[in-house]
Amino acid sequence: MPSSCRECGSSNVVRDDLYSQTQWVCEDCGTVSEEGHLTTTLSEEAMSRSVPYYLSTEASKTPCRNLLAGFSRVRALCRILRLSSNMEAEAVSFFERAYNHPNFLRAALMKKEILGGCCILFVCRQGNWPIAMGTISYLLGTDSPSMGPVYQELTKSLNIKTTTQGITDLLESFCYEFKLRPEQVDEVLSETPQQLVDRTSALIEVAAEAWIVTGRHPLPLLMAAVYVAWQSLNPKARMKYTFSAFCQIGKAPEQAWRRSKDTVMKRLSELREVLCKLGRQLPWLRGNTVEPNTVATLVDDILKNHRVLLLRAVRNYEEQLQNEPLKTESTPSPGTTHDENDTDPPKVTDPDQVENAPDKETSDTELPPNHWGKRHLFLPPCVKNCKRQRVDEPQMEVTGDEDISDSEIESYIRSQAEINMYLRAQNELEEA
Amino acid sequence: DEEAALEDFFDQTIGSSDYIFEGDLSLQGPASQLPDSSYLSSINSQEKDLTEDLDLSFLPDELSVQDEPSRAEDLSRNEDSGVFCPPTESTEADTDSSNAVQNTSQFCTLPMTPMTPMTPMTPVAESSGIIPQLQNIVSTVNLACPLDLKSIALQARNAEYNPKRFAAVIMRIREPRTTALIFSSGKMVCTGAKSEEQSRLAARKYARVVQKLGFPAKFLDFKIQNMVGSCDVCFPIRLEGLVLTHQQFSSYEPELFPGLIYRMVKPRIVLLIFVSGKVVLTGAKERSEIYEAFENIYPILKGFRKQ
Repeated sequence: MPSSCRECGSSNVVRDDLYSQTQWVCEDCGTVSEEGHLTTTLSEEAMSRSVPYYLSTEASKTPCRNLLAGFSRVRALCRILRLSSNMEAEAVSFFERAYNHPNFLRAALMKKEILGGCCILFVCRQGNWPIAMGTISYLLGTDSPSMGPVYQELTKSLNIKTTTQGITDLLESFCYEFKLRPEQVDEVLSETPQQLVDRTSALIEVAAEAWIVTGRHPLPLLMAAVYVAWQSLNPKARMKYTFSAFCQIGKAPEQAWRRSKDTVMKRLSELREVLCKLGRQLPWLRGNTVEPNTVATLVDDILKNHRVLLLRAVRNYEEQLQNEPLKTESTPSPGTTHDENDTDPPKVTDPDQVENAPDKETSDTELPPNHWGKRHLFLPPCVKNCKRQRVDEPQMEVTGDEDISDSEIESYIRSQAEINMYLRAQNELEEA
Repeated sequence: DEEAALEDFFDQTIGSSDYIFEGDLSLQGPASQLPDSSYLSSINSQEKDLTEDLDLSFLPDELSVQDEPSRAEDLSRNEDSGVFCPPTESTEADTDSSNAVQNTSQFCTLPMTPMTPMTPMTPVAESSGIIPQLQNIVSTVNLACPLDLKSIALQARNAEYNPKRFAAVIMRIREPRTTALIFSSGKMVCTGAKSEEQSRLAARKYARVVQKLGFPAKFLDFKIQNMVGSCDVCFPIRLEGLVLTHQQFSSYEPELFPGLIYRMVKPRIVLLIFVSGKVVLTGAKERSEIYEAFENIYPILKGFRKQ
């Protein structure tokens, strides 16, 4: 701080800053005696009283870039799924909450992407807007093994409980995605979504009673059911269309058939099997055998009377099982001693019965003779196709405190010669 | 009358002092798998452990004198009412069997040392007749000495050690067929055994191998950390119905996993229930927890049996 002005010599030098530049100015003559630097040196910065941003009490910090990207992704997904704006806002706020949770704050970017999808899934379930996990994982470009752990971590971290949704909840939104209205396709091929929904839900109900729904991914099953429903609503015209043709006509949602076509075909054959088993109980068959390929023609009748047919099928099967020991092994005779006059016993011999007869050679895929599954006509396929029979080894009987023989322990230890060989081989490998 | 007939029956079976339970219970259905006498011998060995450690002086004196039926009723109301005194006199035998008659639901026919309290464990219940089989036991033990994993991996035939992948030696023995993870701190994890005794024997064998390799290994704090059991109820189960009625315990996501995950509160066991009727129980520290959990879930599952 200068004590006297250079020009006029007065001692009236005051500090008068020009904006942010410190200046010492003489009051009498107005000359600038000294001025500070506009920049600061490192030591000045360390000693100065200016506050860095991160220590400031600035309340609104800008959110990180990944969070913003996540927001836009969540919003885009909501728009693709056509959620209401309320749900979109809810999803976004939920995503923010989840993102800032310590479990997800430092996670990999891919996990954060999947997290966005999981938040949408949760919000949809809360709001009773059923979305399949397969749909969201297809939109995100992942698969359910990747999405599953993130979803479970989300529910665990935020302590939320989700309601399970059934397959019938997904049904309606699934059917509405098809483009089969009269104005979109030919008259012969068109169905209103409501008709599809009705027919498909009846089919799913029958499938559920026959144990092919529980424990499986819902989407392939829905796809197969919609196809059978569509065929059965106008069998004469539509029987000739294969599944792929149907997908192209109806512009089925891609995730249903692009990835998991094999699963859809398996479900399709299972569904047709079940319908055949029921169809064989119809009293007014005119001598044609009920084949899986053509069962769609009978679906209408089957669905109308499915409870009665189910009871009949089970009862006939049980009667056959009872009459089984009375019959000779070689020929399973079709006419048995039951008093149903109008119901012809199955024209095609029941496949389970055929399995019972040659008990001598049970291949790996058939059930062992005394398995409980033989008593049921409709079984979950995982029971019917048990590929590997579990063999329970005979248990060792030990007390845990027995003596351990030295020779046994010695057998687990290398001799010196072995060790030398091993070291030599290791050296040779390292040199090479 | 009925009681006298029951008493006679029990006299015949229990009266002989060298009666050994061999697993011949007609209460079980055809589909059940019997526990081997290894389990029951484990109970014997547990008793020995208990009698060594426990001070039994807290037991009331009246247990030694059992000639009044009223006292027997007191006993039957007691939680640990599996007390059973071998019949030293014929009069006592009658009252003993009357004790047993009153405790028929918790009836244990094991030969026991006198005055040993035992929580009644029921491998056979009147309800299901199915016994879960143990499939895997995980246990830990402290060898209490620092180990040189490289030298162990070099000297042992049955060891693998890849420090870049995992910081422990993986050792395997043939009998009982198990795998152990041996850490440099001296702690060891033993997995793959099918019973508690097998796990203990296997852990001792691993400790012996480490000893023979030149380390002063001890065998401290052997503890069973987890037990996994499985069984089959032999009928298909409606998982969708089960998740609706037991929402607070179950989680069923068919898109993620085909089974239903049921988290039982008491005992704290996680059950995986599948549509085929197979049930996997895990998270137990004691065998009785698995049996108890299965007995709890069986009536629930029966309710979802499709008739």
